[in-house]
Amino acid sequence: MASVTGAASMGMTCLSFKPSKVPIHGVSKLKSVSFSISGKSLPSLRMQPGSSRFRVSCAAKAETVEKVCEIVRKQLALPEDSAVTGESKFASLGADSLDTVEIVMGLEEEFGISVEEESAQSITTVQDAADLIEKLIEKKGA
Amino acid sequence: MMNIRCFQNNFSAASFPLVPVQLPSRMETHLWYVLPNEVKSMSLLSQYSELLSPCEKEDINCIRGDDLRKRALLARALVRTTIARYQINNQVNPSSLKFRKNAHGKPEVEWQDDDNLCPVPLHFNLSHTSSMIACGVTMNVAIGIDIEEKQRQLKNNVLAFSRRYFSPYEVKILTAISDPEIQHQEFIKLWTLKEAYVKALGRGFSGLPFKTFTIRSKPATTGSFNLSEDFVSKASEIIVESSDDPENLTNEWQFALLELAGSHYAAICMEKDKTVGGEANTPMKLTVWKTIPFIEDECVSGTDAVVAIGGLIKQ
Repeated sequence: MASVTGAASMGMTCLSFKPSKVPIHGVSKLKSVSFSISGKSLPSLRMQPGSSRFRVSCAAKAETVEKVCEIVRKQLALPEDSAVTGESKFASLGADSLDTVEIVMGLEEEFGISVEEESAQSITTVQDAADLIEKLIEKKGA
Repeated sequence: MMNIRCFQNNFSAASFPLVPVQLPSRMETHLWYVLPNEVKSMSLLSQYSELLSPCEKEDINCIRGDDLRKRALLARALVRTTIARYQINNQVNPSSLKFRKNAHGKPEVEWQDDDNLCPVPLHFNLSHTSSMIACGVTMNVAIGIDIEEKQRQLKNNVLAFSRRYFSPYEVKILTAISDPEIQHQEFIKLWTLKEAYVKALGRGFSGLPFKTFTIRSKPATTGSFNLSEDFVSKASEIIVESSDDPENLTNEWQFALLELAGSHYAAICMEKDKTVGGEANTPMKLTVWKTIPFIEDECVSGTDAVVAIGGLIKQ
């Protein structure tokens, strides 16, 4: 079961629950669950790698989201302080199809994964990308 | 084709309606483009906003950054005003057009028709860069267009990118080009052609991975077709082949590659009209306008603004 611990500093205005698309292989309880947190102002979390106290064990770790934001900012040549968060839509940030493909390629290199073009279809926000990355990393490790 | 050049700086949009245009014929593409840098008037921009649906306005409000918002606004204004010019069903009001996505997610017009007649077979496709927005229009056949700035730089290495996403044949062609500038240019041209193809199919990049097909030049077959003098392009056809089945040439799609306004490559992919019989490869008839909707339309076909660089094209 997913649990959210140590989330004192996050302003969560609503949680929406998305059942995971990963097949369950005959296990009776849910192996993983993905949440998308849609809060109006989600401060960017600075997670210490390896620190378990503030680990949010749902969809994508904030550090994954942060790395995605960084890659997106670089690709789109956005200033450091520009607002790029999990909610940000690639299209709204000014990414065209070539940018999106370059971003996916950058993510593949950064995370050592391979993204099938068909999966790329469902990526419209930074959060989508981060979720997919974690799913692929998990699959790789499994 | 009459050149229409009107400067109406002092008139409001309401007093200068859109100049009506005849629908494209079979095997013809109309291409309309606007240069955002030429649209500076705040009152004109607010007139464009008035054309938009509440949904479109909301989407644009979500965009951060004035340039991006302006670009999105101009894109919607271009599509609406362009389609309105064709006065289909006597409908001339660009703000009354409704849009929806088809089964594959490709945007199309939702014609409002009280008499429940068959939907009008007008097809369009939009593409934009930071410095140009273009809309292609056809009748009866599907169309896809893509434009890119010639100077657009990749963050990744061209060959690394191509190896990841393009077909082996295409990688071979690009690898063989030793001059990095030419290699870059050919990459951009190939990208626009591939994008135009998947957009014409309505499936987008994810629906038809770029590795699964090859686009290349083929010298035009000489047949009974008469190459007249108004051919601007080199007579080489652009064709698409499926990677799974390279022997079976998909003969259903016609391509044109242009240099637009000196700054962009534009690729057009148009479905061949099967009712136009014959084996001969009919060139794509193309008419291009540079526009500032409500202000100025200029037919630029056959001028320096439109240089055909690939495919069989007749301007």
